[in-house]
Amino acid sequence: MNKENDKGLDNLFKKKLEDPVDQAGYKEEDWANLEQMLDKHKKRRGIIYWLPIISSVAALLLLFLGWWNFRPQVVHHNPKNGFLAVNHHKQSHTGTGDGPSRQPINQKHFQTNNADYAINTTINKSPRASKSIIKLSVAGSRRNSTGPIQAVTTGKATRNEDEALLAESPVPVFESEQFIAVPVNPIYLQNKNTNPETNAAVPENVKIKAGKQAAFRPRFALSVLAAPDINGVGSFQESKVGTNVGLLFSAGLFKKFTISTGVLYSDKPYLTAFENYHTQYQFPVNPVNVAANCQMLDIPVNIGYQVYNKHQNKISIGTGLSSYIMLHQSFTFNYANPYSTGPSNFNVPNSSGYFFGVLNLNATYERQLNSKVGISFQPYLKLPLTNIGYSQVRLQTTGVAVGLTWNLNSFSKP
Amino acid sequence: MGEEELHQLIRGCIKQDRKCQKMLYKAFYGFSMSICLRYAGNRDEAAEVMNQGFFKVFTHIDSYDITRPFKAWLGKIMMNVSIDFYRANLKMAYTEDLESAEHVSDGDMVDKNLNYNDLLAMVQKLPQAYRTVFNLFAIEGYSHEEIGAMLNINVGTSKSNLHKARQKLKLMILKADSGTNSNNYNNGTNYNTSIVAINATSMNGVFLNKGFRE
Repeated sequence: MNKENDKGLDNLFKKKLEDPVDQAGYKEEDWANLEQMLDKHKKRRGIIYWLPIISSVAALLLLFLGWWNFRPQVVHHNPKNGFLAVNHHKQSHTGTGDGPSRQPINQKHFQTNNADYAINTTINKSPRASKSIIKLSVAGSRRNSTGPIQAVTTGKATRNEDEALLAESPVPVFESEQFIAVPVNPIYLQNKNTNPETNAAVPENVKIKAGKQAAFRPRFALSVLAAPDINGVGSFQESKVGTNVGLLFSAGLFKKFTISTGVLYSDKPYLTAFENYHTQYQFPVNPVNVAANCQMLDIPVNIGYQVYNKHQNKISIGTGLSSYIMLHQSFTFNYANPYSTGPSNFNVPNSSGYFFGVLNLNATYERQLNSKVGISFQPYLKLPLTNIGYSQVRLQTTGVAVGLTWNLNSFSKP
Repeated sequence: MGEEELHQLIRGCIKQDRKCQKMLYKAFYGFSMSICLRYAGNRDEAAEVMNQGFFKVFTHIDSYDITRPFKAWLGKIMMNVSIDFYRANLKMAYTEDLESAEHVSDGDMVDKNLNYNDLLAMVQKLPQAYRTVFNLFAIEGYSHEEIGAMLNINVGTSKSNLHKARQKLKLMILKADSGTNSNNYNNGTNYNTSIVAINATSMNGVFLNKGFRE
């Protein structure tokens, strides 16, 4: 009885409401309101149409910026060294080594290995698995100490070689042909003989982790991030790949601004020329380069601005500062000459903090998978504002963070 | 409006031609309003929701499959924006008027000679949560499971809201009946006090403006 009645009631409403006797009369002002909405949309569309493109360009620029920043240094060093090397040759082709003079850094103590090499090169020792880096050494047999540094930087290094070679050709002492013909004797930067010594503080490069500021939702969100990144000191030519894993919390401040913070565990290996390594310890023989590995906690505080938000896609750009706490730093010294005597590695187990020492720049693309979960991709660049770590190195990092975000208050907005 | 004419209008809308948009808007204004009015509390609200719907129509018109009936597509959009509106006002919907529904004795509702405007006014008087479920269940024909998914509520809540909606509607119908034995619930001349108490706001408007103007 009850059911029937309910049905009757439902039908009564269904029948009559579905077929309005007199439909609502058209109102011009309603159209005016809609027209206003459409106009607004059209205008915005013009801008929005470009936003994804602009943002993509910005993201790419960001990645590029890292490389760019480092490049100048490399370019500088190399030519210089090359030339220096040449000059030195002229003056003292005999030989062996005036390492110091060639070294732009003027490290007097450099000697032996590289110098020997210089000599050797002319003699032509067995070329071996010399990497491009090694080749450099040819030009730079005289660059001894500096050689390594520059040599370490790969790509450009090759160029330097060329320059160096050319430069050398005029040098009377060396028979240019010979020189060229002779397979370059590699200085094994890679094979580096590592002579252990404990000392120097290797600066830790500022490692950038993936600071995600991306707010997936205008309110509160929790993100889990993982980011492979590239770390380099002065140049990404010596870059090594590090990893970051962390948790970020973000909160929407205003409509388009988001502030985020969290903790990321970063493992940042990097390789740097010895000249970038600051220490008071005097190496008996200067290493060619220093391989470092730092584990740290990165605590970013970032602010993001949303430039595009349509459907489930959002693009935002952001900046902020990172503090980090060094958990462990270890340095390995690589020598040109396997037999050189010097410290081979050094560990700094203590933890120390560097507050707001790194500038974060990033661009974020987020896609909402459903009301609660979203994924994001964030190219980022981290630039050191201060020297960080035991060795006081300026370490730059660039990478792409991939994140999974959970909207904490999604229930309030279906 | 003929099929061909409609398609022409739609093609114009795809090109974002403002004149075509206005013509389409005018042509389907009444139809769209009739849907939104059922879900909204009053005409202003309904017009706002309807405009949201048309905004969606015009910005997504290129996704409309021309082989399918336009009216059905439009109706679905209007229903969806109404539900969006309901969700945006979720808090209000549940905080208002949560007293337990009184038991209403069942009478023969079907025979009551109530017209469209009467019934619309009654539905609009329902709290939003009840109204939305009632619309979806009784008029659109969705099941409680479907409604639960659409509104993000439990099936139990949906059932309970429907029950309360019906109780309230019955009450309104009975009051209307007892108040006036006339054929028009809405003629407004001889309301007794209790009916005025229930329907005062909207009834006056309905009477003066055929149910839609204030």
